[in-house]
Amino acid sequence: MDSKGSACSNPNPNPTFGPSKLMLAFRFLRALSIVHRTTPASSPTCRGRRIERAAYASMAYSAGTSRAWSRAVLRRLHHRARRRAVAPRRLSTTAGNRAEALRRLVPGGAGMDYCTLLEETADYTKCLSMQVELMQGIVDSASSNGR
Amino acid sequence: MQHGSGEVRGSMATSASAQMALHDDHGSQQIQNPGLHDDFFDQMLSGLPSAWPELGNPKSPWDASAAQKLFRIDLTGKPPDESQPEAATEGLRYASYDEATMLASRLPQSQGSGGSSPTGEAMMLQLNNRHILPVVVPLQAAVGGGVGESGLLPLPLTLGSGGAADPRIIVETPRDEMDGPYKSPDQNGGEELYSGLGGSIRAAQAATGQHFHHPQNHGGAAAPAGVGQGPAASASSGGGAPQQKQKVRARRGQATDPHSIAERLRRERIAERMKALQELVPNANKTDKASMLDEIIDYLKFLQLQVKVLSMSRLGGAAAVAPLVADISTEGAGARAGGDGAAVGNNDSLTATEHRVAKMMEEDMGSAMQYLQGKGLCLMPISLASAISSAACRPSAGGLVSAPPPPATSAAAAAESPSSSPSASALTVQSAAAADTTAPKR
Repeated sequence: MDSKGSACSNPNPNPTFGPSKLMLAFRFLRALSIVHRTTPASSPTCRGRRIERAAYASMAYSAGTSRAWSRAVLRRLHHRARRRAVAPRRLSTTAGNRAEALRRLVPGGAGMDYCTLLEETADYTKCLSMQVELMQGIVDSASSNGR
Repeated sequence: MQHGSGEVRGSMATSASAQMALHDDHGSQQIQNPGLHDDFFDQMLSGLPSAWPELGNPKSPWDASAAQKLFRIDLTGKPPDESQPEAATEGLRYASYDEATMLASRLPQSQGSGGSSPTGEAMMLQLNNRHILPVVVPLQAAVGGGVGESGLLPLPLTLGSGGAADPRIIVETPRDEMDGPYKSPDQNGGEELYSGLGGSIRAAQAATGQHFHHPQNHGGAAAPAGVGQGPAASASSGGGAPQQKQKVRARRGQATDPHSIAERLRRERIAERMKALQELVPNANKTDKASMLDEIIDYLKFLQLQVKVLSMSRLGGAAAVAPLVADISTEGAGARAGGDGAAVGNNDSLTATEHRVAKMMEEDMGSAMQYLQGKGLCLMPISLASAISSAACRPSAGGLVSAPPPPATSAAAAAESPSSSPSASALTVQSAAAADTTAPKR
């Protein structure tokens, strides 16, 4: 079941713009609602993981397929839907291995040259920060309304 | 150092400065035979264009006496002091730049040859006999038009043997990375003869094996082009190949082969990408590239960790969403979304749904959420909804909004109640794909 995968049916109304906050919010909220609907309340950890996957999926979909990292994320998501996925390990940055560490962090970074890697890192960082901002906003409003 | 017969040396014009013949530090070491210098100097200058005597113009520091300093002519065959490091010639380079331009302007157009405004060429002075010492003569030939840039025009100057009645000054400037073939200019007297090459670099290059560097400007490109076409009298055929490069001329200390140029371009691209990254990452104090990369990596790790943590905090979805629900009663008769006809019909039902949901929420959050999702709706905070609605092309206010059918846009319009406090209202967003009136799409 790939409940997060249904988000790709919507065309991006702003193809020329960079990452779009609006589309990101829309996709993520929809995915969030799907997660809340489909996961049983008895497995909170499972839901957390699903939410995280939903976050990455909505990020990748709103970024479009023109980006190498978004393609890699979607590829990874679809593959993991079939078999049990393992969380990516992240090793520490060694002094002389910064490029390697960067490649590990950025999805799809293994197979590109350094120049492209930097470009993808910039775009990935932008989208990731937008996603974090969105999620933080949701949590904040939720907590501020805490009853 | 080339063969002992003569060395060709000179200072290469840097990218920015003209190569000046005047160099005080340089001079003392260069003068070895002042007397002989005079003879040669006169001989050389006699054939020069009329404008050249102007060089003695006191206005320009580049006067005869100074010029003599540059002529490290050693007729005795003793190779000039090789220990003269490049630094000295470097100093030459940075000497009065403006004087070179003055000279350049004075040079007559008659010097013009095929080479068009070969700026940045080093002048080489080469004596035809084997005892040729490199001399730097900053002359900016106004070949092919005035040259505003700094640079020296190598004027092949034939002296003495070779029977060349055509006086040309060939200034050859050594380079750091000059490889072997370049370093050995053709010292044959006859080879300095270049017909029709008044101030052309071709002569210099052909004769001297193209030792000079050109500042990194296109001005140099013309000269090498001309040089390449020049008479291939020179035996320095090896030097001919790189000289035909029409692209950017490297500065002194840089190779001109395509590899280094591509390397340089790649480095520049990486640098600008690093700069773009630096702006994204907060607290970017660009000390050096390595620490900058570390910052970027740490920031990325931090962001990914935040996503993980935030997704964990949304556990117990109903509980997390509950705070979002506020008294829907305050929304009341809030403005309805300006949806199309299909949507209008929905608004009433939406209002009813709102009330229903509100009631359910007070009782049981979980079932309320399930009811909502069964209808294809979800909750979102008003602040977010307002942001979305304002950004969407169809801003709506109040109540529940039904998103327009998805042909054009898939953005969902969120309703907001302007009267209620931003954090106190519950909104339902109907996904665009969801049918308005049909059963829940999911």
